Amino acid sequence: MLRWKRWRFAMLAILPTLAIFAWVRMYPIVETLRLSLHQWDILSKNKPFIGLQNFRELFQDQLFLEALINTSAIAFGVLFITIPTALVISALIYHRTRSRFAGFYETTVFIPHIVSLVPAAMAWKWIFDANLGPLNGLLQSVGLPAQPWLFDPVLSVIAIIILCSWQALGYAVLIYLVGFKNLPVSLFEAAKLDGAGGIARFWYISVPMLKPITLYVSVVTLISAFNVYAQAFVLASDSQGAPGRQVRVLVLDMLENAFRNYRIGYAAAEAVILLAIVLLLTLVQFGLLREKGRR
Amino acid sequence: MKVGTMKPLALAASLASATMLAAAPAHAETLTVWSGFPEMAPFYERVAEALKQDYPDLEVNVEAIALREHEKRIALGLTSGAGGVKVIELAGSTAQRYIENDLLPPVPDDLADFVTDPENFGEFFVESASDDGTVYGVPLFRGQGALFYNVDMLEAAGLDGPPATMAEYTDYAEKLTQRDDNGNPTVSGWSLRLSGGGQGIAEKFWINLFQFGGDLLEQTDDGKWRAAYANEAGRQALKQYLQNVHTLNTVSEQMPADAEAFQREQTAMFIRESWVIGDTAAKAPDLNYATAPLPEGSIALAVNLYVSDADSEAAWAFTREANEPEHLVWMLENVGWLPNRANVDYSPVTEAIPQFSAFVDYPADYEFFTLPAIGPIEEILTRFAAQLTRAFGDASLAEDDAAIDAYLAAAAEETNRILEREGLLAQ
Amino acid sequence: MTQSTDIDPQDASTPDRYAPRTGPLGLSRRTRARLTDLAIDAFLFAFGLLMILPLVFLVSNAFKTPQEMVAWPPRIIPEDPTLENFRSVLGDTPLLLWIWNSFSFAVLSMIAIVATSAIAGYVLAKFPFRSLHLLFLVILATAIVPFEVYMIPLYFQAQALGILNSIWGLLLGYLVMSFGIFLIRQNVMHAIPDELLEAARIDGAGEMWIFVFIVLPLLRGALGALAVLAFFQAWTSFAWPIIVATTRDAYTIEVGLALFQTGFTVDLGRLSAASAAVLVPSVTLFVILRRNFVQGVASTGMKE
Repeated sequence: MLRWKRWRFAMLAILPTLAIFAWVRMYPIVETLRLSLHQWDILSKNKPFIGLQNFRELFQDQLFLEALINTSAIAFGVLFITIPTALVISALIYHRTRSRFAGFYETTVFIPHIVSLVPAAMAWKWIFDANLGPLNGLLQSVGLPAQPWLFDPVLSVIAIIILCSWQALGYAVLIYLVGFKNLPVSLFEAAKLDGAGGIARFWYISVPMLKPITLYVSVVTLISAFNVYAQAFVLASDSQGAPGRQVRVLVLDMLENAFRNYRIGYAAAEAVILLAIVLLLTLVQFGLLREKGRR
Repeated sequence: MKVGTMKPLALAASLASATMLAAAPAHAETLTVWSGFPEMAPFYERVAEALKQDYPDLEVNVEAIALREHEKRIALGLTSGAGGVKVIELAGSTAQRYIENDLLPPVPDDLADFVTDPENFGEFFVESASDDGTVYGVPLFRGQGALFYNVDMLEAAGLDGPPATMAEYTDYAEKLTQRDDNGNPTVSGWSLRLSGGGQGIAEKFWINLFQFGGDLLEQTDDGKWRAAYANEAGRQALKQYLQNVHTLNTVSEQMPADAEAFQREQTAMFIRESWVIGDTAAKAPDLNYATAPLPEGSIALAVNLYVSDADSEAAWAFTREANEPEHLVWMLENVGWLPNRANVDYSPVTEAIPQFSAFVDYPADYEFFTLPAIGPIEEILTRFAAQLTRAFGDASLAEDDAAIDAYLAAAAEETNRILEREGLLAQ
Repeated sequence: MTQSTDIDPQDASTPDRYAPRTGPLGLSRRTRARLTDLAIDAFLFAFGLLMILPLVFLVSNAFKTPQEMVAWPPRIIPEDPTLENFRSVLGDTPLLLWIWNSFSFAVLSMIAIVATSAIAGYVLAKFPFRSLHLLFLVILATAIVPFEVYMIPLYFQAQALGILNSIWGLLLGYLVMSFGIFLIRQNVMHAIPDELLEAARIDGAGEMWIFVFIVLPLLRGALGALAVLAFFQAWTSFAWPIIVATTRDAYTIEVGLALFQTGFTVDLGRLSAASAAVLVPSVTLFVILRRNFVQGVASTGMKE
């Protein structure tokens, strides 16, 4: 009887959330899968089932492939910059926890992560500007040639990597700091008694012990970088007067196919591929974690 | 104690009521004007003001944003049917797919009579506003290109008058380019559209291609289409871009471009529509510049006004009011777009502002082309633009005709694939 | 949440025990440690400044005249500060309306997420029914699906409801947060002992009473952290608002700014002014709520 009452409460209490969840999360996810198998154009009345045709077309679509390559380059570029930097910075901040400036360090590193994307990207747009940006000014004042940061196909991707890393760093540092705080102090004490210096302790104790955290942060960073969009949108606005190179990323290509070419089904197929990438990354994370657990 | 059990229900109820609130219809006497040209906003506001005499309670919101975003909101807004009555400014070619899918209604009979009256509009404009003989839009203005050149710079370079052939364009560009001590261009001789997102690159390329006797797409007798740029004309047009960028170095991707650059004297000449005249009058009134017709002909993109709700009398009245001579003359003088209506005396403006001459006094054999009214035209242009951007960045193509041909052939194949998918490809 | 007690970092208190010993440079070990710390402080300080430098410049550019904008080297304090940029931005755009849209959207989203997460997290943590466990697995599985994957169908749902171009349309995408449910569940499991709930039940308390008067107060910290997270998530959202809001009056500040800048790319002063107007309040808010925020974000790392 009591159990029944509790069950009833649990169900009633969770029902509104569940309903919302099913409505704005589960249904659209399933719908994405369904749309990806249809030729579903916004404007046409006929929306036939076409099986895997959208996917077949995607892999011959130069723009999509370009987007896939750019996005992967951005995601892994961000990863390779962010993770080592975050490890070192968080180790240093942790080392100076007692410092009166610890709060300042944490805050300044974290602020880029919370500020709105568009204003932040605009600040960087000015920095990268070919003609009046300080980055080129700096390069020239040390005798290096100015670079067309936002125009060159490679440099414009690098510009986005820098911008995204700048934003992602704060989050990684924060998670690492939690990790550092949870490391057993006794281990460090012992190492110290054995005469291990700070760098040795960092390299031989902290880094291996923080491996699960590294794995977690890596996957989170990768996944969020695969969804990059606003940064590309702002850095290369296509207005007249100040042209910039459009760095085609997956979400941008998807939205263009959906809302410019009106091909919803095709865009949904791209979304499914994005989902597949994310799933794959998550599976890799779980796989690596489990492997580590066995050892 | 029992009071607490109401909580989740109350939450659900408030969420539900919130949704209801949002679904309430907009005020009936509100008209929204959607424009893809921010500079047109004062014009529509002026028309709205005049319309208030007949419709005192009417409220008109003019929302003029960048063209690409404008086209997106139409795709999304029209299919959702939300947001009240709209007057929509749209190129005839872009409107086609909405008309085909019954998303834009035909104009009422009396207005159709006004549009089809040959006194008012030439055949080209009536056609661009119609589908299968039914009139859907009310013509307003057109985008037509011409060369803009900085008179002082031409004089300083010892050049007498504007270039007349495409070969001369390159020649002029070389002479007009100003360079620093290292030979890097500081002022481009001829500003070309080399980067940016969207279809603008392809449209500008088409204009140049047309001067070489080519077209991006051609229609066959059966009414279908195919890519028409993988040929001699295409090679010449692309090669001219490549030579200017890579061989002669008269312009580069990262140099300031377009009207902004022209007004700041960062480029000596460029091809653009007539709105640059109005824009320059506002932003750089002292600039000493002139215009000239293009060697062979120009794009003429007819822009019409459409209405989202056939029953809105006020909306149709707005499209009619916009074509009142007084407003059209004001538009030409202050905005610079070319009105399409014929029986209006524009001479006070065209005489006072000599730069309009290239747009109204062109040679008798001057030809015009327009974007075909087919559904996937934007996708075709956007994808071709992406191909072009890649080509422009490839220095190795500049002197290699065979490579250019191969490049164009591959791009044309992509264009034809899109046409085929939509069932529009000519055999 | 795994509340980590603040363990002393390994260095601060320990050096004394090993002092005095002299290092290779003739400095005592203690002095050397001090110098190292000083160097680290200097480095971190410089690094922190470098991180916020772009934003500092953004704010400073907002007050610059067009002439000064292109000056090299750029100055942080403008020589001839002007409010002209702000004046013209406020005159040309409904900036305040956009900020209001963003703000109300973020607040509503925060309320919805906190409410749904609190109740669902509690139920999933303390009611061991098999059906609920299954539900939990589903929530967990969908948590990793990025928003961008399903936003197109969601757009059509908003369209069917007729709530495009409204705060409610924006809200549709931000009503629930899988991670929020997860976060509260973890907190309930760690912070609320079963005995407490049982004791209340024996005293005759209803389930709802227990939730409101026992569970919620104990979750204050976690809910606060979640609230801040949810607020900033909505405030900084971009891809969803840019497809849902297509009229000028419906833009959020992010969308408004992004579209504004496509029209005025060359006018960096005005762009910076508009950006600064948005940046300063949100950074201030963050600095005030930093504790909550850091706690919230840190707990995202505690998934395993």
